[in-house]
Amino acid sequence: MADCSNLKVRMEASCLELALEGERLCKVGDYHVGVSFFESAIQVGTEDLQILSAIYSQLGNAYFHLHDYNKALEYHRHDLTLTRTIGDQLGEAKASGNLGNTLKVLGRYDEAAVCCQRHLDISRMLHDKVGQARALYNYGNVYHAKGKNICWSGMDPGDFPEEARIALKKATEYYEANLAIVKELGDRAAQGRTYGNLGNSHYLLGNFQDAVLAHEQRLLIAKEFGDRAAERRAYCNLGNAYIFLGQFEVAAEHYKRTLQLSRQLKDRAVEAQACYSLGNTYTLLQDYERAIDYHLKHLIIAQDLKDRIGEGRACWSLGNAYTALGNHEQAMSFAEKHLEISKEIGDRGGELTARM
Amino acid sequence: SLDDSQSAAVATLRSDHFEMEPETMETKSLTDYFNKMHRDVMMGMP
Repeated sequence: MADCSNLKVRMEASCLELALEGERLCKVGDYHVGVSFFESAIQVGTEDLQILSAIYSQLGNAYFHLHDYNKALEYHRHDLTLTRTIGDQLGEAKASGNLGNTLKVLGRYDEAAVCCQRHLDISRMLHDKVGQARALYNYGNVYHAKGKNICWSGMDPGDFPEEARIALKKATEYYEANLAIVKELGDRAAQGRTYGNLGNSHYLLGNFQDAVLAHEQRLLIAKEFGDRAAERRAYCNLGNAYIFLGQFEVAAEHYKRTLQLSRQLKDRAVEAQACYSLGNTYTLLQDYERAIDYHLKHLIIAQDLKDRIGEGRACWSLGNAYTALGNHEQAMSFAEKHLEISKEIGDRGGELTARM
Repeated sequence: SLDDSQSAAVATLRSDHFEMEPETMETKSLTDYFNKMHRDVMMGMP
C-alpha cells in the first residue's frame, strides 16, 4: 500500500513538472515543444482534475496558436466536459470561451455563438465583470467573422447582403457592450483591441466615418502602450477607411506609416501589402510614376517571398499604370507576365483579365 | 469618372486587407495553481 501511495505522489509530481515545463515553453512561444511536454504529462496522468483541466486548456491554446484548429477543438472540448463534470463553473466559462474562439476560426459561427453565450451567462452568474467583457469581445468577433464570411469578395464595403449587415450590426452591438465594461474597469489594452475590431465592423458596414473614429482611438491606445504592431494595424485600417471617404492623400499618409512600421517590425508580408495599397492609392491620385514605384517595390517583395499571387497582382497593376502613362511596351510586358502567372496558379479570372 | 487603371485600383483596395485584432484566449495557469498548492501546504504545517 505504501509503495502504491508513493507511486501516486511521484506520478502527480512528474505530471505537474512536465506540465509546468510545457507552460513555460508556451509562454516563450515554443508551442511545438510545449505541446510535447503537455502530451507527456497526460500520458503520465494525474488524479488532480484541476491540473488536468489546465493541461487540456493550455494544449488547446497551444494548438490554436499553431493553427491546428481541429486539435484545439478536441482539447477545449475535453476541458469543457471535464469542468462540467466536476462542477467548476469558472473553468467551464473559460473552456466555453476558448471553444467559441476555435469554432469561429473553423467557420462554425452558430456553434461558436452558443459557446460565447454560455461564457457570458456563467460570467454574469458569477458577477465576473472581466469574464463578461471577454465573452462580449469574443461574441463580437464571431458575428464580425460571420458577416465578413457572407460577403463575397469583390463587393464594396457597405454593399453587402442584408444577412451580412445584420451580423455586422450585431458585432458592433457586442463590441459597444464590451467597451462599456472595459471602460468601467479602466482596461485600456482591452479597449484598444475592441476599438480596432469595432472600426473594422463599421468599415464593412460602410460607416467609414465611424470606422475612422474607432481606429483613431485604437491608434491612440496603441501609442500609449508603445505597441507598434497594433499601431501598424490602426494605420492600415485608417488608410482603408480614408480611401472610401475619398481622401486619397490622407489614406496615402496612413499607408506610409504602415509601411514604415512594417519595416521596423521586419514584417515583409505587411510591407508588401502596404506597397500594394500605396501603389493603388497613387493610381487613384493619378500619380502613375509613384504608383509604379510602389508596385515595383511590391513586386520585388512578392518575388522574394515566392508569393506568385502577389507577383501576379503587382504585374497586373504595373500593366495598368504603364498603360495610363502611354508606355505600351512596358504595359504589354507586364500584362504578359500577369497572364503567365495567372495560368500557372490557375486564376481563370486573372487569365481572362490579362487577355483583355 | 475613373479611368481603367483607377477602377482597377479601387477594385484591389476593397475589403480583404483590413487587419483584425488578436483573439483573446482564456488561460488556466498551472504556475498559479502550483504556487497555491505550495502555500496551502506551508500554511498547514505545524
